[in-house]
Amino acid sequence: MQTETAEKQGTLPELLGRNWIALFIVLLVVFFSVVARSFFSFDTAQLIFFNGTEVFLLAIAELFVIITGGIDLSVGFVMGFATVVSSKLMVACVALGFSPFWSILAASVVTLLIGLVPGLVNGWLVACLRVPAFIATFSMLGVTHGISELLTQGIPTKNLPALAGDIGNGSFFYVAPGGAISFFSRPQVARGQTVLAIIPNMVIFAFLFIFLFAFILGKMKFGRHLYAIGGNIDAAIRSGINVKRDLIKAYVISSLFASLAGLSYVMKYITGKPDAGANMLLEAIAAVVIGGASMAGGSGTVGRTILGALVIAILETGLRIIGMQTFMTYILVGVILILAVIIDQVFPNRNR
Amino acid sequence: MAAESTSNGERLKQGAPGGGGFFQTAIGRFSARNWALIFLFIMIVIFSLGSSGFFDIVNFQNIIHLSTGAFLLAAAELLVVITGGIDLSIGYVYGLSSVLGAKVMQILYAGGAGGAGSMPVWQVIALGCLAALSVSILPGLANGVLVTRFRVPPFIATMGMWGICNGITLFLADGFMPVMGAPSEINAIGNSYFLYIDPSKSISFFAKPSYITQANIRSVLRLVPNSLFLSLAVLLVLGFVLGRTRFGKHTYAIGGSMDAAIRSGINVNRHLVMIYVIASFVSGVAGLFNLFQTGIGNYTPSGANYELMAVAAVVIGGASLTGGKGRILGTAVGVLVLAVLENGLQIIGVSAFYRYIGVGVLLTIAVIIDRAFPDLF
Repeated sequence: MQTETAEKQGTLPELLGRNWIALFIVLLVVFFSVVARSFFSFDTAQLIFFNGTEVFLLAIAELFVIITGGIDLSVGFVMGFATVVSSKLMVACVALGFSPFWSILAASVVTLLIGLVPGLVNGWLVACLRVPAFIATFSMLGVTHGISELLTQGIPTKNLPALAGDIGNGSFFYVAPGGAISFFSRPQVARGQTVLAIIPNMVIFAFLFIFLFAFILGKMKFGRHLYAIGGNIDAAIRSGINVKRDLIKAYVISSLFASLAGLSYVMKYITGKPDAGANMLLEAIAAVVIGGASMAGGSGTVGRTILGALVIAILETGLRIIGMQTFMTYILVGVILILAVIIDQVFPNRNR
Repeated sequence: MAAESTSNGERLKQGAPGGGGFFQTAIGRFSARNWALIFLFIMIVIFSLGSSGFFDIVNFQNIIHLSTGAFLLAAAELLVVITGGIDLSIGYVYGLSSVLGAKVMQILYAGGAGGAGSMPVWQVIALGCLAALSVSILPGLANGVLVTRFRVPPFIATMGMWGICNGITLFLADGFMPVMGAPSEINAIGNSYFLYIDPSKSISFFAKPSYITQANIRSVLRLVPNSLFLSLAVLLVLGFVLGRTRFGKHTYAIGGSMDAAIRSGINVNRHLVMIYVIASFVSGVAGLFNLFQTGIGNYTPSGANYELMAVAAVVIGGASLTGGKGRILGTAVGVLVLAVLENGLQIIGVSAFYRYIGVGVLLTIAVIIDRAFPDLF
């Protein structure tokens, strides 16, 4: 205990080394603000969170499994699966004569329930059949990819209720020029006047769940069990933790967050397609690792993972604003991912 | 304490389906060990009975021809998996090599074919190949150095390299465009066959008889595609290296127990760097051959999961992700299982999307069998 406090205080370089991620975010913001004057604004900040919703959600999905020492390769395609299922259900409900609002709500709830199944199977394979997480979740990647392709037959879903787009691209409240505030719906104003939109709905939607599960991970017994399992599975078994049940829960939560990311995608882009999250696996894992979690398990927190995801979200939106193409994002995420691990070895004890 | 710890491990393993009576017999053990091969035969029989087009020399050659990349990538992945690591970058080294080779050829060839002062075609092709192959070593070198000197877990190091290679490839490919403009002669190398037999007239090697046009090429019996030579060469060389040389023995030793390997005097760091370099180079060869087959430089599309498919083939072929285990022959069978599954489903008219599901199911079966018979392979 004493050594820990001594380390916590540390010298300045150590302090910086442990919190390099925050420093790095500041540097990124300064860099983009210098290069593009329009970057440093409230709108851009909102845009970063809005564009990054899926990355935030998938990073949390990955975090729960990585803490246990596993890996979930299926999150991207479970997300795609959720976009397909939810959009198909919405269209079906509207066709059955339900109002758009109830169709969207019902489809979302049912999708989240169906979205638990891949996680349940992953968890069962990993915990009960002792299939390595890499293999089990890669299998699930194939299965969810196949099923969503079969459902769409190669054509992205269309004809979603317009309300979905209104919710997905709307904001929590709007400030009209006179100072009037309206919630959830954009006020009618004269042409040329700007309405201030504050906090995108999807960001609220995502962070409600993220805060809830941050609480579960950080404060509840189940959360401590996950760290124990990742730290030393034998010790966890011996101390009477129901390892199988908790592992299954971790994979189910992962799958749940992937489905949430899928819902967010459907609301924002009003379409569902199997490969919606295909290239997000790298970003999700990178966010967790940049956030200081170890692939060996037993470490990582929701807060730091969000910081890691924020690095990626700032990079993506910032590079787009200064006119760089997608390829720079890939290169930089790759470089930062590797650097994160190296820096963490120089300055251990960053987490927990 | 130690005994208790193993008993806990055992208790967890109990969850795996136990080998019952049948699997104790000689036949049972044989079929468990070679289940992938048996499964391959069963698939071939089913697809042959289910459609008229499957059991055909043209189709079989087609399967082999289209799996060249898969064979090479899986062989590359096997090397790394035996050492207990994993290489997630090979799929994107594949794309990088293909696009870079095409880009170099495109630039050198742009002077106009046969124009004044332009380079001879063979020189264009040779320089393109040289550029692609030498650059494809670099990701492997970086992976190896990161894994050994900087102690970055292979998963992270190669995943970072995945991003970097993908980014550079997309930069070279100018956004999401295949790179055109390489000399058309490369197609002749990539797509021709060893033997052309015109039943009534003649036999020729490596090039179709001159009087045969593309339109009536089907009247000629074409045997042994060039791609088969490449796949065989790579598989045989790597199989020889793994099975018969000291280098191979050290590779298995490192995967079996890193500590024991270090203590027995193996230069583990240098060995691992070489393994990652070879894996990367073989993936580069695969990407370059993709350019020869298609005539254009193809970047690796996101979600193509070439590297994961390679892992799947390696695992179905009996390797273990914990290292120390796996053979080239098994890996080749693993690649064939996936290739025949895809091709057969297409031919009998089942939606090709079922193959994604098929791969997932097969992979899980592979590991469960591996778990149930830990001492078999």
